[in-house]
Amino acid sequence: MTTSVVTPPASGHQPGAGGRGTPAAHVARRKKLFWPFVAPTLVLYGLFLVVPTLATVVLSFSNWRGAGDTPQFTGFTQYAQMFSDDGFQNAFVNTLIYITLGGVGTFVLAFLFTMVLRDMRGNKMVRAILFFPNIVAPVALGMFFGVVYRYQPNRQGLANYLLESVGLSAVKFLEADSVTWVVLGSIIWASAGFYITILMAAVDRIPPYLYEDASIAGASPWQKFRNITLPLTWDVVGIAGVLWTINAIKIFELVFVMAGSGTYAPPIHTWTLGIFVFDRSFGGTPAYGAACACAVVMIVLVSVFVVALRRLLRRDAIQF
Amino acid sequence: MSTTALSSSSTGSTGQPPPRRKAPRRPKPAPGTQRISPLRVIGLTVVWLFTAFNLLVLYWLIMAAFKTPLEIFREPLSLPATLFERGTPFRNFVYAWESAEFGTAFLNTVILVAVCSVVIVLVSAPAAYALSRLGVRGSGPMTAFIAIGMGVPFQTVIIPLFIAMSEIDLNNNLFGLALIYVALSLPFTVFLLTGFFRSLPDELEEAASIDGASATRTFWSIMLPLARGGLITALILNAIGLWNETLLAIVFLQENANFTLARALFTFYNAASYQSEYGGLLAGVAIIVLPMLVMYILLARRIITGLTLGAGK
Amino acid sequence: MATVSFRGATRYYAGNDKPAVDGLDLEVADGEFLVLVGPSGCGKSTTLRMLAGLEGVDDGQIWIGDKNVTDMEPRARDIAMVFQNYALYPHMTVHENIAFHLKIAKMPKDQRDARVQEAAKLLDLEPYLDRKPAKLSGGQRQRVAMGRAIVRQPQVFCMDEPLSNLDAKLRVQTRTQIASLQRRLGTTTIYVTHDQVEAMTMGDRVAVMRDGLLQQCDTPVGLFAKPRNVFVAGFIGSPAMNLIPARLSDAGVALGGATIPLTPAQKAAVTGTEVIVGIRPEGWDTVAASEGLPVTIEAVEELGSDQYLYGSSEAEVVAAGEDVEHREAPHPIVIRTPGMSDWSRGQQLGVRPRTGAVHLFDKETGNRLPDA
Ligand SMILES: Nc1ncnc2c1ncn2[C@@H]1O[C@H](COP(=O)(O)OP(=O)(O)OP(=O)(O)O)[C@@H](O)[C@H]1O
Ligand SMILES: [Mg+2]
Repeated sequence: MTTSVVTPPASGHQPGAGGRGTPAAHVARRKKLFWPFVAPTLVLYGLFLVVPTLATVVLSFSNWRGAGDTPQFTGFTQYAQMFSDDGFQNAFVNTLIYITLGGVGTFVLAFLFTMVLRDMRGNKMVRAILFFPNIVAPVALGMFFGVVYRYQPNRQGLANYLLESVGLSAVKFLEADSVTWVVLGSIIWASAGFYITILMAAVDRIPPYLYEDASIAGASPWQKFRNITLPLTWDVVGIAGVLWTINAIKIFELVFVMAGSGTYAPPIHTWTLGIFVFDRSFGGTPAYGAACACAVVMIVLVSVFVVALRRLLRRDAIQF
Repeated sequence: MSTTALSSSSTGSTGQPPPRRKAPRRPKPAPGTQRISPLRVIGLTVVWLFTAFNLLVLYWLIMAAFKTPLEIFREPLSLPATLFERGTPFRNFVYAWESAEFGTAFLNTVILVAVCSVVIVLVSAPAAYALSRLGVRGSGPMTAFIAIGMGVPFQTVIIPLFIAMSEIDLNNNLFGLALIYVALSLPFTVFLLTGFFRSLPDELEEAASIDGASATRTFWSIMLPLARGGLITALILNAIGLWNETLLAIVFLQENANFTLARALFTFYNAASYQSEYGGLLAGVAIIVLPMLVMYILLARRIITGLTLGAGK
Repeated sequence: MATVSFRGATRYYAGNDKPAVDGLDLEVADGEFLVLVGPSGCGKSTTLRMLAGLEGVDDGQIWIGDKNVTDMEPRARDIAMVFQNYALYPHMTVHENIAFHLKIAKMPKDQRDARVQEAAKLLDLEPYLDRKPAKLSGGQRQRVAMGRAIVRQPQVFCMDEPLSNLDAKLRVQTRTQIASLQRRLGTTTIYVTHDQVEAMTMGDRVAVMRDGLLQQCDTPVGLFAKPRNVFVAGFIGSPAMNLIPARLSDAGVALGGATIPLTPAQKAAVTGTEVIVGIRPEGWDTVAASEGLPVTIEAVEELGSDQYLYGSSEAEVVAAGEDVEHREAPHPIVIRTPGMSDWSRGQQLGVRPRTGAVHLFDKETGNRLPDA
């Protein structure tokens, strides 16, 4: 800045400078760093994310089985076959359930917590404990749940042990008709801490005097939540929603080991889109074309949800 | 009025100092905050149940790693006994460590995670700096373009990557996996760090250029130290993520000698549950969880603020 | 409308053995404008927050009218509070902000709107009703906060430094606006400030606090004329009163060549051998340097209507007759002279306390010696 004042302006008006005047010498000098600094990231990003994604889209229109097979492009055949496939249908429905119901469940829980945690004693400690499952590998969580939900009379897992010890009868948690909900509950348990943490950070930024004024007005906890917490954390809720979608769509290891033996894919009623892709590519008999088609569906699903969320949650930015 | 003035003054410094009262151990809360509203009761109950449950789970996991299968299922909440009575309290850990080859896996993971986290930050930091502070036109859209990468599920890229890595013989190779880890972690890290760099003040940078420091020097000796907090956070978050990463490790590693912990555990699971080695299984889980738990206990605050920093932007 | 009364109200904060407010006894009459003033951290806000129900009361009671509100929730107390930073809801328009309390109280919408309109008119806020607070100036925000308080038509207003975020000029304007608004509404008001000018110009009565203890509560004139102790004497008035320590002799107190006689009652009240003589800047007569207390002028502050001379005195005269060991350090002295007088730096003059302008305090306790 100061330099630009000292140095006389360069001759006349420079076209292409965007009318912003001549940049200071040191700014121009610094701008030369741009490409060297950004290039490694862009190259890696392009090679490992952009190109493979495009390749996946291209391969999804082929019936390629895998190494040794020559791909033939068959248009939407893969997609048509896939949509009529039982495994895919299960996977699709389950993934939708995890994104939507899981999202609703997690956020309701997180909101309930923000209402209580804001003025609770020891809330830092509680938050740290709630966050803990998020540092555990999903595989480890899956195995752990597998043991917890075990059903075998006389050798019950922790969940059934607790049920039986309060006089209830044991439940076959991992059977076809309940497994989706058990997984859903487990996912909500494991991820709630993360979203609580993010939302609480936003809540902590709300000045306390707003809540005090609401107390004087006589607002109930619900009214405070409705009139202060929610509107003032709305943008963070939007971001958290996007993160949830991104994370929920790729759920894989947790379910894979929790509901199955670990080596082969679990029964198809537990499948998610992530498991479908894995099964068709590296799990059983390879069918790369189908796996790619499913991967494309995943990307489309993420985009749809993210765009919809952004639309839905758009609000004026709030300045404190 | 004047009466009040007189009477009030007696409590002032004119009168004898008020008798020393003992300060209450805990001051009274504001009236109404302790009021029982149904929502608050539900909320408090859920919060405490949730917290207690998390602690119970942790307790159960650690205890189970020292138990026989029978104890795990029959007396899940009691302290371990049998193995201690037999004088082999670490039997499960030994079993897991040996049969799953956790030794090599542990070493592989530590090296892989350490190298990758550092490289990720080394690559991301300059990019984030350039995108957020050089004011080059098009930085905004470019940042957004990179951030979109966070939304791409790994499943979308594994097939082409697998084929390509096999072509150039980097499949079943820790270096190959490291490359993939670095590349796929960039979107999140760049996103996190642009937010961090953006929050730094302009003045120091300007002062440095007035002092005649070169642009590269300004970056190395002014901006990087200033952003140290952000860099460390990025390092930690990536380390946790990679330590726990499983899908890519399953796809790109096929030989036991190359396995990471998560990958080895994945294989071990099948064998252990087949042999009803539930104690060994949970010891394996504990082996992968405990290092993270220690790290978390030491760094919880940093991890949490780092995450919220990334999301709060 | 109602009276407010603090009866030994005490507040501790966790981790501090010393109470933030210590046994406060204070009666506020119905419709009165009472100002709480004191240095930063003396417990003014805490007092107000106890009244509003935002802090618990550890000991003692608080009454509003004939109700003991000590353990009542804020909402049941029928008070309105104006916060230092106004506590406006950033996501609500001015209209919604003003109507918020009424909405929570479930007042019907048409009635609510009528009240908001009325308040907006009173406060000149009508053009801004649809704006968000971020797009308002500081003064306008302050008025919105006031509007939110008055639409409730409460029994008591609590205001915590509502003007401290405004620039100096606006503060003076708003000061009078608030005072006249309060007189018009006739609502009992407790107003916190650390600015003694604000306190003296706005309040029916002013309560001075220090370290959680009430020092004195009186009308502005009463405070100014008869400060109860050295602290109040030094705190009220600008520039501050000159407080000069002096040794007591049989005749009285010697100062500037004159001896101030002490009444027997005053003599009896002195605990030590020293007193503090308090003289306001306007309480001096200027005389030749050889006559009164000699002062060397170090700075001249010309205000047009008045002039303040800042100087220092060799206070040896104060301890006349004593040996050199007892000489006081040079003592700063402020003198008010008529505006545009031609004093300048470095000049010497003598000053002598005017009769009737002398305040005497005991040096040990700091308390005022009984008058006549
Ligand atoms: N929440 C709190 N926890 C602990 N101590 C507090 C708290 N709030 C205030 N205090 C302490 O209590 C004392 C009185 O604080 P208070 O806010 O009432 O002062 P004040 O007179 O309003 O000062 P100011 O003019 O700076 O606003 C101070 O010493 C302060 O440090
Ligand atoms: Mg205050």
